[in-house]
Amino acid sequence: MIKLYLVDDHRLFLAGVRSELEDRAEIVGTATDVDEAIEGIRETSPQVVLIDVHMPGGGGVAVIRAIAETNPEVRFLALSVSDEAEDVIAMIRSGARGYVTKTIAADELAEAIERVQAGDAVFSPRLAGFVLDAFSGGQAIELDHDLDQLTAREKEVLRLIARGFAYKQVASRLNLSVKTVESHVSAVLRKLQLSNRHELARWASDRRIV
Amino acid sequence: MEPVEPAGRNELVNRLSLWRRSEPRLLAGVAGGIADRVGVPAVYVRAGFVTLTTVWGIGILLYLLIWWLTLDHQATPVVRELETGQRVGLGVIFVALLWLLVASGFVPDPFATFVTAAISFGVASVLDRSESGGIARLIMPGETQGVSVFRFIAGVVLLMVGLGLFFGTNRVTSSLGSTFIAVALTAIGLMVAFGPWFVRMRDDLGKERLARARQEERAEMAAHLHDSVLQTLALIQRTDDPRRMSSLARTQERELRTWLFGKAPLEEGELLSTALAAAAARVEDERAATIDLVTVGDARLDSRGSALVAAATEAMVNAVTHSGSDRVSVYLEVGEGRAEVWITDQGNGFDRAQVAGDRKGLAESIEKRIARQGGTAAISSRPGEGTEVHLVLPGVEPVTK
Repeated sequence: MIKLYLVDDHRLFLAGVRSELEDRAEIVGTATDVDEAIEGIRETSPQVVLIDVHMPGGGGVAVIRAIAETNPEVRFLALSVSDEAEDVIAMIRSGARGYVTKTIAADELAEAIERVQAGDAVFSPRLAGFVLDAFSGGQAIELDHDLDQLTAREKEVLRLIARGFAYKQVASRLNLSVKTVESHVSAVLRKLQLSNRHELARWASDRRIV
Repeated sequence: MEPVEPAGRNELVNRLSLWRRSEPRLLAGVAGGIADRVGVPAVYVRAGFVTLTTVWGIGILLYLLIWWLTLDHQATPVVRELETGQRVGLGVIFVALLWLLVASGFVPDPFATFVTAAISFGVASVLDRSESGGIARLIMPGETQGVSVFRFIAGVVLLMVGLGLFFGTNRVTSSLGSTFIAVALTAIGLMVAFGPWFVRMRDDLGKERLARARQEERAEMAAHLHDSVLQTLALIQRTDDPRRMSSLARTQERELRTWLFGKAPLEEGELLSTALAAAAARVEDERAATIDLVTVGDARLDSRGSALVAAATEAMVNAVTHSGSDRVSVYLEVGEGRAEVWITDQGNGFDRAQVAGDRKGLAESIEKRIARQGGTAAISSRPGEGTEVHLVLPGVEPVTK
């Protein structure tokens, strides 16, 4: 079973997720604030951390950045009710491998955790929408720069995810294998983390995450 | 709090635990430091310095000496007060010392010293706004209200005596009209006597007003929470259907968010995305379903946009009612001169050739509605694989956020 660590400042929600995932993952610890999380994660070295975006003391971003220095093998999946693109993109840019909303069903959440543990990216429909929004319109700093553009295929994949399809369904619609879909999504994640597009750069500088 | 040991320049000062007060202070904090140590308001210590100044300027010299010997106390003033007995002793020593100085003929002008003492301690007594401290506490311990009144009266009497003696001697009056002096005296007396009281009353009024504003705010919030959240919680407790429960919770969450963070209510949205979000929210509420809405790009809402939203709403209702799934995904994308909406469910799906007449009618009404605006609607469905409605409206100008 995957070693999982939960971070959320809402104890009630924490308890809910815990009971939902208890049979599917080994929950090695939980934390309700930034400092507690950093300490706990370093102590228990989980494989995946399910982390809330908004938290007192710097939010999920602070935890991800601190852990990246000492335990780069730990993978993060952001979980939030936040509707703000800035917050979500900030989490991804500081190193989270995916973002799902708190309304996600337990089965889908378990699947997302496995996917993150395997090193793939997890895009909820909402995140796919944010990315399409950020990469459409506006100007890229250098239009011919690979990192600042999505390929036509990547856009197609993201659109289908935004429309509510699971990776498997996306694959069958585009006549691709699931692995190929996953690699497209991972490529988008990488672009999201490294791109210098105006919109992303602005979000990044606003949030001081660069 | 543990008293912090001051590091003075001098062993004696260290043993006296004396330091200069950092805040609040008038000059260098010397009087404040002594006041903290002795346990009286600083105004009395200052009055003492002023009185001693009439004796060859001893007050000023003493002040400077203590200033040089002590250090600033950075932390919060630590009150390590003297016992009441010690305090009384100190006061007696002060008076005795003055007496001695006068008796030995050291004091150049005993009359001036006496008048200064009466005026400065009188002023101090009136200015002293602490409810429990001060000289008066020595005489009337316990009753703070009585102390306050007593201190005030004593202060005014001292002032009157001092001022009376000062102006009573013919040193000054000869050059000024006595009527003017009487008027000025009365005015000064009134100001000194009632000034602090007036200031305090004004402060209290301000505090009261602030408290009332806070209370009103709290009442408003309580009323709102009662009308919304508590009602919803009551409804949820009486509901057995989990779908209805989560729908109620979602509606409430949306409402509360709008109220707390002051976002404009969705119904008044002037953008295509907000209109669609409002429509999705209505369907969620009425049909107890979950609608995942994702939007990319946006456009100003006009009549054609409204038609697009209406068609999309019908498709949502259709999906919730017939698909057997309580989860519908809606995706809006505005760009390249057109708006597109996909309404997707993962439900039963259907074969268009075999559906009942009324359902076909619904599908057709969606198509007609959008066709009137020059758009197209494509409905694709296969039994067992869910349904997708794809609406396209050309000629829509995107807006930048």
